[in-house]
Amino acid sequence: MILEVEGLTKSFGGLMAVNKVDLQIEDRELSSIIGPNGAGKTTLFNLLSGKLRPSSGRVIFKGEEISKLSPREICLKGIGRSFQRVNIFPRLSTFDNVQIAVLSEQKKTRNLFIPVRNMVREKTKEILESVMLADKEEVLAGLLSHGDQKRLELGIALATQPKLLLLDEPTAGMSPEETKKTTELIQEIVQDQGLTLILIEHDMSVVFRISEKIRVMHMGRMIAEGKPEEVKANNEVQKIYIGEEA
Amino acid sequence: MKSLWNRIYTFRAVWLAIALIFLFALPSFLSLGHTSLVVEMLILAVAACGLNLIMGYAGMVSFGPAGLYAVGAYTTALLIVKANVPFGLAIMAGPVAAAIIGFLVGWFCVRLTHVYFALLTLAFSQIIHTIIFQWYSFTGGDNGIVGIRVPDYIASINHYYYFTLALTVVCLALMWMIGNSSFGKTLQAIRENPERAEFIGIHVRIYQLAAFVLSSFFLGAAGSLFCGFNRNVFPVYAHWIKGADIIVVCLLGGMYKFLGPFLGSILYITLDKVTVSFTEYWPLVLGLIIVLLVLFLRGGIAGFFTEKFSATTIRGSREER
Repeated sequence: MILEVEGLTKSFGGLMAVNKVDLQIEDRELSSIIGPNGAGKTTLFNLLSGKLRPSSGRVIFKGEEISKLSPREICLKGIGRSFQRVNIFPRLSTFDNVQIAVLSEQKKTRNLFIPVRNMVREKTKEILESVMLADKEEVLAGLLSHGDQKRLELGIALATQPKLLLLDEPTAGMSPEETKKTTELIQEIVQDQGLTLILIEHDMSVVFRISEKIRVMHMGRMIAEGKPEEVKANNEVQKIYIGEEA
Repeated sequence: MKSLWNRIYTFRAVWLAIALIFLFALPSFLSLGHTSLVVEMLILAVAACGLNLIMGYAGMVSFGPAGLYAVGAYTTALLIVKANVPFGLAIMAGPVAAAIIGFLVGWFCVRLTHVYFALLTLAFSQIIHTIIFQWYSFTGGDNGIVGIRVPDYIASINHYYYFTLALTVVCLALMWMIGNSSFGKTLQAIRENPERAEFIGIHVRIYQLAAFVLSSFFLGAAGSLFCGFNRNVFPVYAHWIKGADIIVVCLLGGMYKFLGPFLGSILYITLDKVTVSFTEYWPLVLGLIIVLLVLFLRGGIAGFFTEKFSATTIRGSREER
């Protein structure tokens, strides 16, 4: 068990954005969380990654409680995340964006006098390669296309060498081809590196392609959990989620 | 046009050597008055580059550089006048004292961001000004400290010029290295997106504080150098108007290029002297310049030229803003 969540709750005023959620995530499990807009999926990620403090409940990562740690400390423990809205360093080059994350992971950001140009070059290139941005390393990140920025987002998250990767709609806004390409790429990376993955995604083709397990959230609660086929067949899920789409 | 900039850039070591030789030869074909102007430019360049470490690199706009500049100047002055400390030691103590005060001030300031950060730095700077202004028995209040003795070997303007040039080169070289180090890159990442920086494991506040201390060190160094040059120090060094000068120099030259503040200080002092020679309304001219800069030339002079002569990627950097 790499991640255990017990009774995790976050309320904003009267709104229970996340309501007594329990989760058990096995090591190397590839899972998705689905649910209609406003179900609390991103809030859940924000709680897991330290962006928000839970109102109550606990998050245990590798046997250690992390619910009160800062995003920085949680990152250092081995949870990496990407963001739904592109969240990069826009006026740094694509290379720099990944390099800074590699430097941080290797604790090499404190050096005052050695030129950064030649530091962690290999590792950075390797990550750029894996997210298919090797040919764009000189371009300012803010000028990349949306799809490229989403993949850069993924690259930055990977560069921190996480054990658990939280991806928040990694293919949102992409064309069908890009989505397909990115889905394959995520699958490849996650398997190669033996990562545990939690994916938030609206695109069902991505969800069914990647996940071994699907969890469904609705109005802050986790209402169903199981293998893709089981979830597909679940009446309640069909009613609130798939039914909504049809 | 791209190739022109690339060619200039490729031979940067040569350009640097030419610039150094030029600066070295300068006093032999300038009048003493003009040489002392160049000394002022160099000192202002150290201060502005120092401020730019936090402003341009780390994106922390400080309104209080003058306070730290004055700490450097007064430390040197007081050590020489009150404690008879040798000049060399007193010059070195200035930046160290400024760094220590910078640590104390920065400790509080980095807890805030944006306009709150700016206002708190301004408040601390005005506190330093007030202390200097009111503490007659120690700092001489508004009379300042006058008649600071410097050793004979740097007493002449030309000699002090070389002394300043040497220290300026050292300071700029150090700042250049810091700007191009992994620390400098980390500051830029924090400037671009502090939230994301936290999420990749960077302790944003500690880096901001370290940058603040380094910046204070160089501001103090500039203050100390100016103390030795002017041989008098006055509370106005700590006044926010002095701080505004340093900020404008950064804006004028360009915050996002290392040499921006250096160009800015040359231009600023030249403009100052030229304008003053035919009108008493220098502040008016300065005001107009600031308006034009903010409206049309956000990257400053350095930004303008690299944009003109460089690849599209840099042009894009302005659109992004």
